[in-house]
Amino acid sequence: MTTPAIDLAHLSLKDALDLAILVEDEAKERYEEFAHQMETHRTPEAAQFFRYMIENESKHGRELLARRVERYADTPSTVTRDMLWDVEAPVYDAVRAFMTPRKAMEAAFAAEVKAYEFFDGALASIKDPEVKALFVELRGEELEHQTLVKAEIAKLPPDNPLSDEDFVDPPSAVD
Amino acid sequence: MSPTGTLEFQAKDYKSDLKPIWCPGCGDFAVVQGIYRALAAIGRPPHEIAFVSGIGCSSRIPGYTTAYGFNSVHGRALPIAQGIKMANPDLLVLAAGGDGDGFSIGGGHLPHMVRRNMDIAYIVMDNQIYGLTKGQLSPTSYKGRTSSTSRYGSLEEPVNPLLYMLAYGAGFVAQACPTDLPGMAAIIEAAIRYPGFAFVNIQSPCVTYGEEGQQMKALKAIAEPLDSIGHNSADRLAAMDVAQHYGTKLSLGIFYQNPEPPPTYGDLVKERQEARSKDALPRERILDLFIKK
Repeated sequence: MTTPAIDLAHLSLKDALDLAILVEDEAKERYEEFAHQMETHRTPEAAQFFRYMIENESKHGRELLARRVERYADTPSTVTRDMLWDVEAPVYDAVRAFMTPRKAMEAAFAAEVKAYEFFDGALASIKDPEVKALFVELRGEELEHQTLVKAEIAKLPPDNPLSDEDFVDPPSAVD
Repeated sequence: MSPTGTLEFQAKDYKSDLKPIWCPGCGDFAVVQGIYRALAAIGRPPHEIAFVSGIGCSSRIPGYTTAYGFNSVHGRALPIAQGIKMANPDLLVLAAGGDGDGFSIGGGHLPHMVRRNMDIAYIVMDNQIYGLTKGQLSPTSYKGRTSSTSRYGSLEEPVNPLLYMLAYGAGFVAQACPTDLPGMAAIIEAAIRYPGFAFVNIQSPCVTYGEEGQQMKALKAIAEPLDSIGHNSADRLAAMDVAQHYGTKLSLGIFYQNPEPPPTYGDLVKERQEARSKDALPRERILDLFIKK
């Protein structure tokens, strides 16, 4: 059976909260993967930034989970991770070995923009006023995250003029 | 919270604890996610799945799943997968590898898998280069491509895997790309569901030895879903027509799916066994025959 898509028009507040938690969970997992990749490929500064993002996504996820539990306790969810595709998770293609912290932050920034666009685009289909209010709130938070990442980028010195390509092994044969 | 979900299995159930060691940004990261999703949609438990690969970067993929895996010998994923399927027809058997593994050293196995119509889904991560061995020309490298061992450019025409498979008579031929994740997962799922040999070519960029024009951004710009051009996937000749543009266009979707799949090799063997079993000696008498001699 093919995984059903999210029916935004009929999303309940419980499902909307679960969806928001899963969005954070997906992003957190992706940053974990990226941090591991950077550590494996000797890119510690980018790894450190991705670890910082793991903390951020986890914190936001925990806050949403607390709200969910407070209102709906452990009522089973009907929303699953398989209904999502990279909502706030940065795309796999966004990282490279030896990427600079600036590029790592730019990848995170692009992911926050993507998440904003998801919540913004979803609003048109949502009918339930409580769900709508939640999505407006989530959209606003994504905007805040963008501002935070932008501020972090602004603190960085300009990137070294060397490109990632300079770290690739030279050809084994030369003219 | 413990989401029950609507499916028996979820993608995470197929993800192993082993962390991929591909280069950051590699297209194969997204491909394995697509495989998890497809397997969750199929809903077979991991212990009922056998995943066989050859040698290469992409051939690491079985280890990143919870299915039974065999990272086998260079170019030999298909014969091993065939043996597994014949020994235990109830297993869901997948094979995977790269373009070098599949179309060069393993290229001779392809027509035979097709003509036998083994019920196996074969997923090739085509990056047009030998990445694991540091960037030599592969069978799908374009003519003129320079590499570490071809400084003046390749003199050879590339293999067109889509056209080959259609010409061999494959019942299911598709192409996907991580530029469209849900589309890629749906194609893999359709390939697994097809009752017979199914081939999926996935354009999966090599971030280390691939060229700028072969990276995800460039592929996204040229990707053309077959649905958008009104392609009829039941028409083999139409599929061959579209497949001719491999290497110049990036058509994504199911090129051809036989609307009336012929019996698989496994079906025919079973049929033969049942037919011959009427005249067969009872098992306990077989030994007697040898003893009498």
